[in-house]
Amino acid sequence: MKPTIAILLTVFSAITGTARAKLNVVATLADYAAIAREIGGDHVDITSMAKPTEDPHFVDARPSFVVKLRSADILIEGGAELEVGWLPPLLQNARNAKLDTGAIGRVQACEGIRLLDVPATLSRAAGDVHASGNPHFMVDPIIAKAVAAHIARAFSSADPANAASYAANNKKFEATIDAKLQEWGKALLPFRGQHLAAYHDDWLYFAHRFGFEVDVFLEPKPGVPPSPSHLAEVIGKIKAEKIKAIIVEPYHNRKIATKVASSTGAHVVDAAQYPDGLPNTATYVELIDVLVTRLTTALKN
Amino acid sequence: MQTIRNLAVFLTISLLSSRLQAESPATPAPSNEEIHQQLLGMQKALQDQQTRHQAELAALKKQIADQQMVIDSLKPAVPDSPAPPPPTPSKAAPPDPAPAFPTTDPSLVPDAPAVPPAGKQPPSAPATAGDSFPTTDPSIVTDGPASGPSAGLLPSPGLLGGAAAKGSYLNISFDAVIAGAASTDPNLSSLEVGDHDPQQRGFNARNVELALDGAVDPFFEGFANIVFKLDNNNQTQVEVEEAFGQTTDLPFGLQAKAGQFFTQFGRINPTHPHTWDFVDAPLVQGLLLGPDGLRGVGAQLAWVIPLPFYAQAIMALQNGQGGTGYSFRNPGDTGTFFDRSTIHRQTDGLSDLVITPRLEASVDLTSTQTILGGLSAAFGPNDTGYNSSTQIYGADLFYKWKPSDAEGGWPYVKWQSEAMVRRYEAGQGLNNTFTAAETFHDWGAYSQVVWGFYKGWAAGLRGDYMHMQTSDVTNDPQRQSRSRVSTDLTWYPSEFSKFRLQYNYDKLQSNAFLPSRDENSLFLMYEIALGAHGAHKF
Repeated sequence: MKPTIAILLTVFSAITGTARAKLNVVATLADYAAIAREIGGDHVDITSMAKPTEDPHFVDARPSFVVKLRSADILIEGGAELEVGWLPPLLQNARNAKLDTGAIGRVQACEGIRLLDVPATLSRAAGDVHASGNPHFMVDPIIAKAVAAHIARAFSSADPANAASYAANNKKFEATIDAKLQEWGKALLPFRGQHLAAYHDDWLYFAHRFGFEVDVFLEPKPGVPPSPSHLAEVIGKIKAEKIKAIIVEPYHNRKIATKVASSTGAHVVDAAQYPDGLPNTATYVELIDVLVTRLTTALKN
Repeated sequence: MQTIRNLAVFLTISLLSSRLQAESPATPAPSNEEIHQQLLGMQKALQDQQTRHQAELAALKKQIADQQMVIDSLKPAVPDSPAPPPPTPSKAAPPDPAPAFPTTDPSLVPDAPAVPPAGKQPPSAPATAGDSFPTTDPSIVTDGPASGPSAGLLPSPGLLGGAAAKGSYLNISFDAVIAGAASTDPNLSSLEVGDHDPQQRGFNARNVELALDGAVDPFFEGFANIVFKLDNNNQTQVEVEEAFGQTTDLPFGLQAKAGQFFTQFGRINPTHPHTWDFVDAPLVQGLLLGPDGLRGVGAQLAWVIPLPFYAQAIMALQNGQGGTGYSFRNPGDTGTFFDRSTIHRQTDGLSDLVITPRLEASVDLTSTQTILGGLSAAFGPNDTGYNSSTQIYGADLFYKWKPSDAEGGWPYVKWQSEAMVRRYEAGQGLNNTFTAAETFHDWGAYSQVVWGFYKGWAAGLRGDYMHMQTSDVTNDPQRQSRSRVSTDLTWYPSEFSKFRLQYNYDKLQSNAFLPSRDENSLFLMYEIALGAHGAHKF
């Protein structure tokens, strides 16, 4: 009995040992996975933990993630408390020294990004706020470039043999974004300065980049479900500020947004923060393309 | 170095050419047109040379910048040192001799305020269609390496309980559970089997806990859970419920832990009451593992087995003494257990300790459904006789469904079941004074379904059964076979507070000493959590 187990284990470790030619990358969220794919190309294997349509704050710490983290060379996370509710116990069980805080394999995307909305006073009376600032920064393409460069550096450190390829892919991504920014900026320019409504306060980086003001939220406070009295107030504000679009994500209660839209004349814009969260948005650029198109369509009406 | 040398060449040439420029009109040679022409030719040659050098210089600068980019891209993401000061402004014009030391550093002090006033972010898009759209933004993305210092740098997640508060080495959280109870049983403590369950009619505050955790050093992390309990006389009792250190970076998926900790037996036992889906503990938990759960001082080794699916083997060795080793070396509160005067067994060898192996495994059935199952056991001596021992075996199964577009974790369905069997050798007590030695085969199970049907709301149903082997000689109030049905409704105003209303129907069967009875109970529980954001284990 015992020798059988030992043989099985030896065979297994031999298989896993030889099959590990590619860099094994685990991303907490689909946006990091999408960018890692652009940088890594064929040299990396990428797993995304959260599904693109899933609320990133509330991902179940499923034990199958432990298996993925155990053999990972690189972990890409947002940081800034975004994954605090589910990542720590997984890392604790994965026991992978490569992913320790400060190790080459631990990429915290928020590093080097100056987060917006850092609360001056920390209090949960303000709802589910993040002490380090708003962590939903990836919808700003300029930040996405910085994160891509960060990922490229980490890949190069962990896999120096392919460093040139990672640097080239990063340069290509950067050039694509720079070109696309002109396109997106031009498309959204006519609507500059407009006010928008959103279900949850996670569009401020997008708004900051393209000159919108997202300042009406269906949630009374981040993470707190909309109450009838708050919605009445929201409807009043949308009418007063002549807001034309309400941004909703796949995991939000769309019915509530539809109701607000029908009583104000605003349009519900089905958006997503994560590639593949909407149809035909497998890459980061495709996602922003769709967001820009949907927003301009809603605002033109 | 190249830059400096080029600058020197450049300076020399500029000086020469400016002198020539100054001299040539000042010293005209009207008498000698040839000399004048020669001088003009030399001046032109020098000017050409100067232009050529300037072009070379620009090319070299570009080369340096490109090389710097490659160097930057090869730099590890680990923050090694603060960002170097940015190079002095490099313009093609002769360098300004004024400030040699940089007086600004955008990598540390951005041009724009780090935190724009809330709600009023200055739009950064260009004002007119003519401008090209900016592709950089130093106010948000710092110029230096991404690992440089920044306002949004997270200190250190990855610890037991959650993210550290900024600049703190220790996560602190506080949790209080307050429960109001009404029951047909005037003595609720004879009905409720857990020590943190409501134990009297009226109000109960039996689980007020302070949890501390953090990284000890690069090798260990520490965790402590101190429980304050108000007993039925409103006296405060303090329990060091858990206090242990564990390794973080052992190889081969191993982890060692030592201290006071909950035994990894089944699903409910290793968890704290505020994470439960019902107000009270299941019958098997309280009656077989003990009112305080099975925990104690000891050491544990866990190994994540390298398989394509999650599987972990855990083995612990603990003292198993006192009330928290309920079915083991437990002398009983009044010196009796199961009607017998207890011996006070010393630790003479490993066989006097409680050993608890566990094997657990999990698979994702689909992308939205996961099951986690486990087999546990606990072996050790007990205090009812000189050669008496106890064996407990358990099996547990947990299933969860959550759709891929769940909002804040809702909706969901959780189904959790545990079954336990206990073989308890009840000896003849201290000095063999009890009439008979018996071996009890007790078993029980519970199964519960919790349905999170709308964001912030969950409904639960639980069935409990406990079979206690009958005895004609052992008169103990705990040895009554019984069953229970519970249903509850929970409202979570946020992740950090909850209200729970629960109804219990208890049916206790008669035995040789106790009559049968039916009891109805109603609980209203309120919980608040403060401090570090606790992570949710699966």
